[in-house]
Amino acid sequence: MIEVKNLTFSYGKEKQALHGLDFTVDDGEIFGFLGPNGSGKSTTQKILTGILNGHGGFVSLFGQEVTSARTREFFQKIGVLFEFPYLYTNLSAIDNLNYFASFYPERQVRDVNELLEQLEFKKDFLKKPVSSYSKGMRQRVSMARALISNPRLLFLDEPTSGLDPSGAVLFRKIIEEERRKGTTVFLTTHNMVDADLLCDRVAFISNGNIVALDTPRKLKEKNSSHQTVIDYLYRGKREEKTVEAAELEEGFFFPHDEILSIHSQEPTLEDMFIQYTGRGLS
Amino acid sequence: MWKGFTHLLKKDLKMMLSGKFFLLALFSLVLYSCYINLVYVNLEQEDYQVYLFDPHGASARQDAPSGQNEHVTDVGSRQELENACADGVSIGIDLSAGTPEIYMLSSGIQTADHYRTEWGKAVLTKIMDEKAVLSETTDHEVEIIGAFDKEQKSRREITCEFLFFELSAVGFLGLASILFKEKQMGVIRVHGILPVHKAAFILSKLCVFLLSDLFFAILLTFINIGFGEGLAILPGILVQAGILSLVMALVGFLCAVWLPDFKQFSLFYLVLAVFITTPVFLAGQTGVSWDWIIFHPMYHLFTAMKSAYFGVATTSFPFYSICAGTTALLFYIAYRVLAREMTKEG
Repeated sequence: MIEVKNLTFSYGKEKQALHGLDFTVDDGEIFGFLGPNGSGKSTTQKILTGILNGHGGFVSLFGQEVTSARTREFFQKIGVLFEFPYLYTNLSAIDNLNYFASFYPERQVRDVNELLEQLEFKKDFLKKPVSSYSKGMRQRVSMARALISNPRLLFLDEPTSGLDPSGAVLFRKIIEEERRKGTTVFLTTHNMVDADLLCDRVAFISNGNIVALDTPRKLKEKNSSHQTVIDYLYRGKREEKTVEAAELEEGFFFPHDEILSIHSQEPTLEDMFIQYTGRGLS
Repeated sequence: MWKGFTHLLKKDLKMMLSGKFFLLALFSLVLYSCYINLVYVNLEQEDYQVYLFDPHGASARQDAPSGQNEHVTDVGSRQELENACADGVSIGIDLSAGTPEIYMLSSGIQTADHYRTEWGKAVLTKIMDEKAVLSETTDHEVEIIGAFDKEQKSRREITCEFLFFELSAVGFLGLASILFKEKQMGVIRVHGILPVHKAAFILSKLCVFLLSDLFFAILLTFINIGFGEGLAILPGILVQAGILSLVMALVGFLCAVWLPDFKQFSLFYLVLAVFITTPVFLAGQTGVSWDWIIFHPMYHLFTAMKSAYFGVATTSFPFYSICAGTTALLFYIAYRVLAREMTKEG
């Protein structure tokens, strides 16, 4: 679906934003693109969506080089959720979606009401102007805008930003559904939970370079200490012991009365990111 | 890529309506029309009075078939002539020495003095012609410029000025205000990934404002000049209004996309009003005279508009070539600036 080889880009002569990125995204895959602010992830997404010109290297989407692919058909096949909910605030959710949907062929467009219902949008606000919506509601309408054309390739930039926990769960469920339908998802995020739960593979980008690319599980395994921390009670006293995972194969070898909890010491995706890039995700 | 053009057009029309732009235009139309019909046409605009001291020809002229010239008042002495011209407005002609001499006190405004002199010369020419008719040896001709009465001239002049002001200042502001809203809402960026050509985004706005400006021009012309008179000159006016509307809409578009916030835009608007539009009005309508004004592009648009209102079609090929070139260049810059805006974040 996406093929990127030696992708470079610079803003002016002295500000090189991307230093030769290489990656591919398969059909139906959810690919996470993770990096701190200014790392080059938005630049990459802009090049992939065809709104930024002047890159070096090779970028292909739907089997066609991106510079020659910016046709009506190309834009009909992609859906983009921006980091901020860009909507006409003087129009209602329905009017916004009808307007944006009008640029796509009718057979391709999803039912606006059905889509908003799926996104659990409050019905009372359907005809009220967007200016009266909360951030979470705006994000729902923006998601609906990205999905309205049934895109084959979906670019999502911080999809769960501004949502409460139940909203974030709902969005993850919808993204999963899109994957089941065969939609390819390019997910740009700071949110490690989203990346961990949703992505088939993730790429860590730092200073315009991809420093790691693999499945979240493998990234964590590679760097795991393979230790577990066990909380237990012994003679009425609560104690904690760190043991190698392999040591547990033969059972709990230490004296104890009751095991309270077992915590694996597997690193989180964020730990991995910091390890690879030396930077946090803020 | 152009299939979405009609949807953009509909959306821009809605934006224009919701932005109360029509109300502003309607208010301007009522205000201008009231001023023209209730105030301007009733203003005293007398011709310069000419006093003639011609001790040798007064009786002969009285006997001439055309009778006494309505603009000329005979005086009996040089002293009387000087007293009559002491108001700084009237013009004196002294024919006592045989060679005509124009006498007048300066009004302090160079251009006004120039008009007075020209008027004095025109009247003098007519007097000399009348004398020549009597002696049957004339080779002079007086050229009559324009066939409109004084009220019609005034109406055309002030209607042209109001239309020019409306298109160059108010229209410019209208498009910019809509675009600023879209910019603040961030929706310009969404159009970067829609299956519609970026140029359509600019063209739809231009079309909406062009149509609204032309409609305004038609109404303003018919209301203040009259249907019959207005209809005769309407094609020329629409051509000039169209050119001005396109140029100003593109400048408004550029500024609104280019400038980061409304504060900076307001400052630019002030600069535009004070340094770009005002000199054109001053040079065109008052006694102020600047040689450099011919290098001011808006001055040429203003004079072309004025010519259209007086039924003189501007047929200059360089004028239309420069207008077309300027519009194309502005459109290209607007396209580039829009493309850059679509890549921005936040």
